[in-house]
Amino acid sequence: MKNNDLVILLGKQFFKKTFFTRGLLVLLSLFWLVLVYVTVNGWNVFEARHDSVEHHQDASRESWESNPDKHPHRMAHFGSFAFRTQHPLSIFDSGLESYTGNSIFLEAHKQNTANFSEAALSTGLVRFGDLNIALLLQLILPLIIFFIGYASITSEKENGTLKIMYLQGASMKQILLGKAVGLLMVSALFFVPALIALWSIAFLENHQVNSEIIMRSLLITICYFLFFIVLCFITVIVSARSKSSNKALLSLLGGWLLFFIIIPKAGQVLGYYLNPNLSKIEFREAIETEVAKQGDSHNPDDPHFNKIRDSILKAHNVSSVKDLPFNYSGFLMSKGEEQTAKIYADQYNKLIKTYEKQNSITNSLVLINPYLAIKNLSMGLSGTDFYTYTNFLAQTEQYRYKQSQYMNKLQMKFISNKAKGSEGKIHVVDKTYWKNAPKFRYKYLSVSKTTDYQIISILALGIWLLLAIVVITNFSNYFKII
Amino acid sequence: MYSLLITQFFRSKTVWLTVAILFILSVLSISTGKQFLSQQNNAIAKTIEQQQKHLETQRQYNKDDIGLLSYYLKFSFINPVSPLTGISIGQSDINSHIQSVSITALEAQKHNTDLVNPMRQQVGNLDVSFLIVFLFPLVIIALNFNVLSEEEEKGTWKMVTIQSKSSFRFLLSKISIRLVFVFSILLCLFLGVKLVLNIPLSSDFFAIIAMSCFYILFWFALCFFVILLRNSSNTNLIVLLASWLLLVVFIPVLISNYINKVYPVDEAFTMVIKQRDAYHEKWDTDKKETLEHFYEHYPQLRKYGFKTEGFSWLWYYAMQQMGDDDSKTDRDALYKKIKKREVLSKKIAQFFPPLQLQLSMNAIAKTSLTDHIDFLHATTKFHEDIRLDIYPKVFEEHHPDTVDFEKYKPEFFISELNFTWVKNLLPITLITIILVGFAVFRNLKYFK
Repeated sequence: MKNNDLVILLGKQFFKKTFFTRGLLVLLSLFWLVLVYVTVNGWNVFEARHDSVEHHQDASRESWESNPDKHPHRMAHFGSFAFRTQHPLSIFDSGLESYTGNSIFLEAHKQNTANFSEAALSTGLVRFGDLNIALLLQLILPLIIFFIGYASITSEKENGTLKIMYLQGASMKQILLGKAVGLLMVSALFFVPALIALWSIAFLENHQVNSEIIMRSLLITICYFLFFIVLCFITVIVSARSKSSNKALLSLLGGWLLFFIIIPKAGQVLGYYLNPNLSKIEFREAIETEVAKQGDSHNPDDPHFNKIRDSILKAHNVSSVKDLPFNYSGFLMSKGEEQTAKIYADQYNKLIKTYEKQNSITNSLVLINPYLAIKNLSMGLSGTDFYTYTNFLAQTEQYRYKQSQYMNKLQMKFISNKAKGSEGKIHVVDKTYWKNAPKFRYKYLSVSKTTDYQIISILALGIWLLLAIVVITNFSNYFKII
Repeated sequence: MYSLLITQFFRSKTVWLTVAILFILSVLSISTGKQFLSQQNNAIAKTIEQQQKHLETQRQYNKDDIGLLSYYLKFSFINPVSPLTGISIGQSDINSHIQSVSITALEAQKHNTDLVNPMRQQVGNLDVSFLIVFLFPLVIIALNFNVLSEEEEKGTWKMVTIQSKSSFRFLLSKISIRLVFVFSILLCLFLGVKLVLNIPLSSDFFAIIAMSCFYILFWFALCFFVILLRNSSNTNLIVLLASWLLLVVFIPVLISNYINKVYPVDEAFTMVIKQRDAYHEKWDTDKKETLEHFYEHYPQLRKYGFKTEGFSWLWYYAMQQMGDDDSKTDRDALYKKIKKREVLSKKIAQFFPPLQLQLSMNAIAKTSLTDHIDFLHATTKFHEDIRLDIYPKVFEEHHPDTVDFEKYKPEFFISELNFTWVKNLLPITLITIILVGFAVFRNLKYFK
């Protein structure tokens, strides 16, 4: 009990001393000012974008539904657009948002790319980074913590007060813990308002509060809290290990540069270097080769599809496709679609696997780099990470497939085998079928899936916290008092 | 005295640490550039090879119908990567260098992206431009922040003022050693870049070197300014790092965000929808009207008349053309917005050397957004030329075997340089001179 009192006392003392330094209030008000600006600005941009996406999604659907009676294959190529909506928490951490495609055209036989990412329409300045609350918490605040805490122990050493504290009965362990607690209290002045911003987004942006977004916010809050505890401990430990304030500052800043800027970049560069992915032309070639091997439904003399035709003719006991009870070209297209979609999916999954391999270096570096851990967790929980995006793409492809097959079925059912092509007003399907076609509804990757993907990052933060506590409590003898 | 100062300089651990870190990062950054170049060039070689193969397959599948064959055929237009791209990859990893387009509506095709891992794009490239923009300033800060304050803190400065002829000159010689050191590292870096990436000694390459040199002078000027405020070493370090953080990290992010907020690009969505609808609705509207619009655009094709019974390729390609024509207003609005973004970026960048350097390096290496838009415009021209060449053959129903499709080889885009020396060098030079002038002026009384 008494031990804890002393730690709290030391913490309070550090807090008071720091709080009344000249610079801190200026820094704090600046930080708050920027935080408010970033939040309000991010929120406005989000709302504007959200409205724009919804507006265009509706407009696209409206023109889909307003099509007159048509040949279904015309509708299969009319296609639909999926405009990607952002998760509300992207206001907090925009993650990959700037780099992920926002509009994808979904039509029969053809998998288009997701286009018009923000970065594709931006000047080179976009590569300096994105402005959001997470940037302040992940890059800027750690530096502030280092600036505030670098002299926490060394200054006591330099003033000779550390000796006095020790002689008065405070153990090194208590002093370190006390300083760390004090430092955490000061940094709370910075990060608690940022987390309040997060919670206000969670409560206000979703028109009805749902458990999903609360869960996400809760996890984000816990993770950042862990992250800052770890940082405060590290700062105090480095300060205690350093000979002078000057050296402590230099090591912390060097560490920041290494862990926050260089390692993340180098990790990604290396990952890419070791696992380069196919270029688009190679990707397409791989698919075309596979299609040619299995059979191409666009080739009139293709043996694979001719075999299917013959067996169908036999089963229905007719001699020509014209006599089949359903539209043969609709049938052929549905078979072709099935086959190419499968081949595409295989190649596409390979591509995603390669991307994952490229990311794997960064993902394993989270164990030695708490910054990467919090970055991944924050992105994942804010619905702006790699997995959320690939999941979006997978959903669009699924929808595209369903949409094409829906049209193929209509063609098989309603279009006569006498029809030559899709032109004109004779071989058509009633327009009510366009309205009945399902809409594209994007569902975000669930929290549990995200935590599954990011489990290693959560573990890493936990390990770092444990490590820091163990170092302070069990190895306090290593820290010199003089 | 110089030799003593140099010995002292090289005794410091910071210097060797700097050299080591810079060496590793230089290797990484040059190989990043090298890998990017070889990958792009591979893709280009593949594209050329693939086009031939693609033509053969399609000829086989569509033996008799030239309209259908023309529908499937794809023609490649390539924006070649110059070796300078390896120095400043810029936006060229986001925007595709290769367009493979068929003669159907272009707008549905030309904005297609490459296959790139978004994680990698977000983290950004560790290319030479990053090294210079981001890390060289830190090296300069680390070497300079205590040149004066350290002497004062150790008490040696008083001796210097008493013993040397001019304490100002002493300070200058200390800084000049550091300047020479940093410039030699920069020179080595560019030498490595030149050799590994096979960069010809062109004026463009020298422009990049010159911009980098001026950028380094700017950071020296800033350090000079701060150390002459005569604060303690720790304060200097904090002030300089805070300026680095502001200039290289925070302000760029703020500005980029501001620009994208001022000019949101909604037009992209509107354009794609319009382009789709404009083409598809023609299936259900009066054919004569569609053809009339088509002939308004290309009066020279009017001789093909108004065949409105059943399906015809003439009508089909006229419909496709309408997709492009009717979305033109939205497209122009989109490009106008992008242009505005570009202009505003350049305007603001003048006041901030890191932004200025990054944008001008991208401009010289032809990896900026403007270069990509130029490429897109050229694609439109390329596409139209092929279209107009093939249209008559399709409308006159030539047999595919009689048409020489092989003559459409992949073509290369020839870009123009969007870089002017004066505009890019003047602002950064002025800022540097003002910083140095102000620092000297404030300290005139100390230095005789």
